[in-house]
Parts: sequence; structure tokens; C-alpha cells
Amino acid sequence: MLTYLARRLAFAVTTVLAASVVSFLLVHASSGSPGAITAGAGATPAQVAAENHRLGWDQPLVTQYLTWLGHAASGNFGVSLIDGHNIWSDLMARLPVTASIAVFATLLSGVFGVLIGVAAAVRSGLADRAVTVGSGVALSLPQFWIGILLVYLIAIKAHLLPATGYVAFSASPSQYLQSLALPVITLTITGTAIIARTTRTGMISALRQEHIRTLHALGTPPWRIRYVHALRFAAAPVVSVLGIQFIALFGGSVVIEQLFALPGLGQAAQNAIGTNDFPAVQGVVVIATVVVVITNLVLDLVLAAIDPRVRTA
Amino acid sequence: MRVPRALRTVGGVLSAAWLVFLLLASVTASWWLPYQVDAQDPAHTLAGPSASHWLGTDDLGRDVLSRIAAGSWISVGPALLAVVVAFGIGIPLALLAAEHGRWVEHGFSRFAELLLALPSIVILLAFVGAVGVHPWAIMTVLGVLLSAPVYRIFLGQAQSLRTRLYVDAARVNGVSSLRVNLRHVLPAMATTIAVQAAQLFAISVLIEAGLAFMGFGPSVPSPSWGGLIAAASQHVYDDPWLMVPTGVVLALTVIAANGLADAVGGGREREAVPARHRKPRTTVRAAAGGTHDAGGMLLDVRDLTVAVGGPDGHALVTGVSFALPPGTVLGLVGESGCGKTMTARALPGLLPAGVEVTGGSVWFAGRDSAGRDLAGLPDKELRAIRGREIAVISQEPMVALDPMFSVGYQLTQPIRRFRGVGRAEARRIATELLGQVGIVDAGRMLRSYPHQLSGGMAQRVCIALALTGSPKLLIADEPTTALDVTVQAEILSLLRALVRTTGLSVIIVSHDPGVVADLCDEVAVMYAGQVVESGTVAEVLGQPAHPYTAALLAANPHVAEGLPVPERLPSIPGTVPAPPDWPTGCRFASRCSLATAECAAPVPATPAHGAAKVHGAANHATGTVRCVHPLSSPAELPVPHPVERGVPS
Repeated sequence: MLTYLARRLAFAVTTVLAASVVSFLLVHASSGSPGAITAGAGATPAQVAAENHRLGWDQPLVTQYLTWLGHAASGNFGVSLIDGHNIWSDLMARLPVTASIAVFATLLSGVFGVLIGVAAAVRSGLADRAVTVGSGVALSLPQFWIGILLVYLIAIKAHLLPATGYVAFSASPSQYLQSLALPVITLTITGTAIIARTTRTGMISALRQEHIRTLHALGTPPWRIRYVHALRFAAAPVVSVLGIQFIALFGGSVVIEQLFALPGLGQAAQNAIGTNDFPAVQGVVVIATVVVVITNLVLDLVLAAIDPRVRTA
Repeated sequence: MRVPRALRTVGGVLSAAWLVFLLLASVTASWWLPYQVDAQDPAHTLAGPSASHWLGTDDLGRDVLSRIAAGSWISVGPALLAVVVAFGIGIPLALLAAEHGRWVEHGFSRFAELLLALPSIVILLAFVGAVGVHPWAIMTVLGVLLSAPVYRIFLGQAQSLRTRLYVDAARVNGVSSLRVNLRHVLPAMATTIAVQAAQLFAISVLIEAGLAFMGFGPSVPSPSWGGLIAAASQHVYDDPWLMVPTGVVLALTVIAANGLADAVGGGREREAVPARHRKPRTTVRAAAGGTHDAGGMLLDVRDLTVAVGGPDGHALVTGVSFALPPGTVLGLVGESGCGKTMTARALPGLLPAGVEVTGGSVWFAGRDSAGRDLAGLPDKELRAIRGREIAVISQEPMVALDPMFSVGYQLTQPIRRFRGVGRAEARRIATELLGQVGIVDAGRMLRSYPHQLSGGMAQRVCIALALTGSPKLLIADEPTTALDVTVQAEILSLLRALVRTTGLSVIIVSHDPGVVADLCDEVAVMYAGQVVESGTVAEVLGQPAHPYTAALLAANPHVAEGLPVPERLPSIPGTVPAPPDWPTGCRFASRCSLATAECAAPVPATPAHGAAKVHGAANHATGTVRCVHPLSSPAELPVPHPVERGVPS
């Protein structure tokens, strides 16, 4: 178990390093230069060169990367080329926004998805077909399209919730929840569809296992067979997919954050890329990778807790 | 010409039709488009559907239908490219890794894991930041990122395919590895490739639309679908309709891709498990009610009929009768496919979904009743009998225990339910039961998980599990078939000891007359869903009256000590007919060397082995045989083919 953990940790660090190298190379492959941005439009080539020299852009790549890495290791991602703000503190201020959406949407998708998936597997017949078709349609619509539809129906027509914007929890807990409601519902619709499908497939295959027949032969009550034994057997893939979803929500909520004007990490990524803010791009990639890596580690531990075959292998 | 599997379902046809239509429409768009893509009509801006603009117009009065059609290639093409790139990288690497073994596989797999652990959307955006907005280039990068999951999926497939015999044979015959891959491995993967490609295409279309929605799509004048939706979202307040056409076309495309994947994959696990064992009450079985002379028998089965698909379906077991006095061991013996397992599983109502008892009775003298017909009981009442009165141990001990729970949990849980005791007492009883089945270190066993057990140990635990409810009848379905020979002997002697010490009655299902001779008091020989001969072990196995019993004994590969080993193993020619092919006459006639014209008429069971009547619960000393001309002495044994015959042990 310890060597397993050590191996996973080593892999996690490698992943973060790889992501930082990739983003570093991408930034340097770009045709622009940071000097051109800080010097502003209309600057002479000499002024741009002077700015690039000040920012260290003329140093050898390896030196630049190691300097960046040294700073990044101590939580210093440099300052934005656009507004001079500290990138680390800007990203940390944005983290709670994205984290709130991701956590709420993952939890709700998990709860609804498992309930619906189990119902479909256990009831079969019409309910099963309805779930299969419904989740198929939900998965075929782009999230941003569902989001716009919800904005139209709930915010514009029914005036139930604000269409866009974000209110911090510390400012007003109730407005915080209201501002998150629409994006979270949007993401939960897709998430529920995926989890329901995974749960349904898992339960159906679990209920066909030989050990379920042993339980029937012992006169075990049906609820215990379904909700203790079959559900536990089906849990591992469901948890894996939930983890993948959480990752996708963290890294991929860019579209949703734009749609609902939420000041999260996705918006930061979009801004940084749109304005060629090189250090900010690198910072976003690294933070996103760290989130992925931590989620994967937690996922491994949860899977080991669920399945003794993983735990004691 | 053979119709491809994908086109044999309605969903598959519709999906394929939509995708073909889309492709044709996008390629020919310039010829039939009613309006130029950028033709503006200032008089009709943000208009809904009308005769001149079928899907309405946008904020500049441009025709929505024309724009969707014109934008279809730029919305779908790059997604196709991503799929091609992902498979172009993923599959060759998977084939190479499967071919070149550990080190190559290790390297590739670590790299794939790394790619999978990267936040792909953010990397994709960083790439956009570096090279600018070029849809084809961006989707190529997406293809590289997606090659990791593709590699993962096909590595497993390629590895298992390479171990297949025919692939191995081709390699041994000196076929070059490229040809082996092209001729044997790739075609075998075709279905999975098609399914995965369609699904990946659906994902790529959605990702590309998302990028375009954010403004990272094709530059503004050429209308990609994501861009169209982004533009429409600006008018969600004054013209919500504008969102609908593009959204529907996009969704239909994704649905079609997924639908095609489903159709190609053959709609795996489409059917959910039937929720309950529904037990339709049939009139046939109601007739079995009323009084019954159990005659001191623990179990009295009469004319049991089991069918798949209801009373009008195919019968799997017909007219099976046997009785079991308390404390005896009965063997059900016969070749595979004779209905032994179905008969055994019908007794406690544990038939697979779709299979049910359609006639006859199963009288069982329960602990607290003089006897009742189990065949007429609803599932709820049978549940109270299972485990408590009748327990079952299965063929495959390695998969009969729940891998997620410890042995301790799996034993104490039914003990607490059956005996109404607390946790500590249940654990004590579990320890005792484990001792009873010959497990010495019970404490350690209780903490173990099923995957840590050997087959023999797992079967011992299964037997202990069957004893948790102190049942009166144990049904053991081929309890030793999956085990090593030495372990088989141990389990058999354990069962023998249990019968002796607990007075348990046992029904053993086996294809091995040796096991039956070893363990049983009585035996019922089954052939093609019928009992063809029954009686005590000494009578039936010593002086078989039915030619099938004799042939079965002769085909037994065990050779008694001191006798010469036959050059060729004797076997019964032919195979057991499948239920739909059962003749009206003797079902063994087609394989019987003694068959005559008389055998074509239905053959009733007749008394044999000195019995006076067929059904004799009151007078149990019965034997039966279902044969027109039963063998009267061992000399008449039909000689099974081939001629060099073995000596029955």
C-alpha cells in the first residue's frame, strides 16, 4: 500500500511537471512576445526588445523554465502582463467560484444519477427505456445550449433566478446559492445523464453475477441484494466516472463560466489566452493540472476503500 | 449482399440516414442554398420561420437554414479529423505495444496515462493561445489528446486477440507481423473501432462547438454551429427561436453518431434484469393442491415440468419424478444439457429469468409443516424456505462469493437473519461452521476476502454458508467440477462427513457416475429432460436397466486398478438432442445401439429393480426405467462406439 501510494505520488508530480513543460513550450511557440504586450501597441522594436530583456524572454529556454519552476514551487507565478496583478492570488481568488460549481454539480449528479440509474436497472420495462432515451438526448445537447435554454425559461420567462453573475458566499449566502443555481443545474443535467447510464449498466451486470445467485439461494431479502450487494459491486465504475466528471467540470467549465459570467478559473483561462497573457496561461494550466492530479489521487483511495481486490492486491 | 449489422435496427438506419444526409447537404450546399450565406435582408431581421425563410433569419436578416447548411462542414469536418488522428495514433501504438511486450507496452502506457491526466480543455486553450484560431489544427491536437483513451481501449483488445489460437497459429506459420495485424487482429477489432469512432466523433463535435461558442472557432463570417449558437445567445431576450434550429441540428448529429455506435455494438445489455421472479400461477399447478401422502419422504417430486417462455414455450424438463427420504443422498446424473441443473434449481424456485415450472408438484416436508407443494408457492414464501430449509451450493465457488465483502460479513449476515442472534454470537457460530467444514484458522478466514481464497477453500466457505440456516436439504450442483482433482476428493469426503454427522439430505447434480457411486444412496439418471432410470446406487450402477445408463457407465474414463487402460476412450456417439428436437418416442433412440421400431412410440416409466409400482412414496423401495426393452443382465450391455471399450469402474 505504501509503495503504491509513493508510486501514485511520483506519477502525480511527473504529470504536473509535464503539464508545465507543455504549457511553457506552447507559450514560447507563439509568434508574439510578452514585451510586445507590456510595451503596448505602437512601441518600436527596440522598446519591445528592452521589455523582453527586462522580462527575461531573451534568456535560453532552459534557464527561463528553471527560473519559472523555482518561483512556481514557492507559489509565485509572476504578475499578469495585462494588469500587473499577482497571478497566484488572482487564481486563488477565482478557485472558490469554480470549486463551488464543480462540487455542487458533482454531488447532485451523483445523487440523482445513482437514484435514476438504479431505478432503471431494477424496474426495467418502460421506466428503463425512458431513462435510456432521456439520458441519450441530454448527452447529445451541448451544455451551453442547455444553459441558454435554462436562462430563457427560468431567468427570463419565470424570473426565478438571476441569469448571470456571481455573489461571494461571504457577501450573501442566499445570493451566493442563487447565483450558482443555473450553472449548477445546467451541469447537473448532463452529469446526471452520464451517472445514470453508468449506474444502470453497472447494476444490470452486477445483478447477473453468480454471487447474487448465492444470495438468492440463501433467501436474502431483495432490498439487501439490490442496495447492499449489487450497488456496492456497481459502485467502482460510478465513482470513477464521478471523478472524471469532477475533473471535466474543473478544467472544462470554461464555456459555462463564460455563459453565466462567473469569475472562475475557466474565465481566467479564456482571458489569459485571448490577451496572450503568457505567465497567466502557464499559471492556469498548472493549477488545472494540480486539481486533476489531486482528484485522481483521491479517486484511487476511494476505489481502494470500495473494492477489497484493489486494496489488498 | 449481407446487410451490415448497423442497418438492421430502426435506430441504426435513421442515424446513418441523418449522417449521410448531413454530409451530402454540406458538400452540395452551394448549389441548392436558397440564399447566399451572407445575403442580408434588413427588412426581415430576427424573423421567425416563414415561407421565404424556413428557419427564420438572424439579427442581420440572414437566412438561418442557409447558414446552418453552409456551416455544417466546418462544424463536423474538424471533429472527423480529430477522430482520424486519435485512431491513427492510438491503434498502431496499441498493436505495437501488444506485439513487442513488456517494455514497449510499459513505455506507451505510462505516456498514455500522462496524456489522460492532463486537463485536455485547458491544454487545448493554451494551444489556441499559442498558434491562434485554426479549427483544423486545434482538432488535430484534440485528436492527439484523445489517442490516449483510444490506445487504452485497444491495447486490451489487441492483447487478448494475440493470445487467440488462430492468431497464434498464423504467427507460428511464419506470417509476417504486419500481415497478422492486418489480416487477423484489425478485422476482429472492427466492431469496437466503429463503436468507439462514432462515440468519439460525438464528443469531438460537442467540444468543437464549445470552442466555437467561446469564440475559438472559425473566424466570424463562416458560420460554424457553435458560433451560430453563440450569436443566437445574444438574442435570447428578443428572439429565443434563433437558438432552436442550430441546437436541434447539432443535437441530432450527436444523437445520430451515438445511435450508430449503439446499432453497430448490437445494443449491448439493452434489457434490464427482470425485477422480480414473477411466478405466473398456472392452472396446471393448482391441480396439485389438496392432500398428499408424503409417506415419510422429505421431498417428493412428481411429474415436474420446467419450460422456457411459459407453458407454450419449450419444455426443458418433462415429467420428472423422484422421492428422497430424510438423511439420504440422491444423485442426479447425466450428460450436459439433460436438465439436471434445471431440475435441481426448480425445487427452491431458483430458475433463471424466463424459465419456470409449468407442471407437476414438489412436495417438501418442511420444518414446521407436514408438507407443502413448493411448485405452487409465490416467491415471497419460497424466500423463507431458501437457506432455512433448502440450501444450494453452486458449481463455481470462485465466483459464488461476493468479492466486495469479507468472508466474516458474508457468513455472519445470514446467521444473524436465520438465528436471530447478535453480532458476537454470529461470529462465534461462523467460527464453529468453518471448523465443521474443515477450516482450521477460522479467525483468519473470517477476515479474508474471496479473491484471496483457493477454489477448494472457497467451496468450503460456500458449504459453511449453506449450513448457516441449518437446512434439511442441501442441493449441490456439480460441487467439485471446477476444482482440482485432489481438492475434489477432499470436498467429497467433507460432504460425506456432513451427511453422517448432521443427518442432512443431499441432492448432488453430477455428470460423473464415479462421484455418484462414491457419495449417493440413490440415483436418478437423466437424459434429455427425463428421468430414464432410477433406483438405489447399487442397483442402477451395478445392473443398469437403461441402455443410456449402461453407455454412460461404459464411457466413464475411470479405470479400475489392475485392469488395462483402453487405447481409446469409449464415448457415446452423437450428442444430447436440444429440447426443440426431442422425438415423441424414446429420446435416446437415435444414439442407442439397441433401438428398434417400437422405440418411436412414447415410452412410459415402468417399475424396475424389483419395484412393484412407479410412484411409491409410501413404498419407497422403487426403481424405474423408461425403456421398451430394458437390459436384464450385464451381459446385454450395449457396446458403445468405438469398439475398444473401457471397463466401467
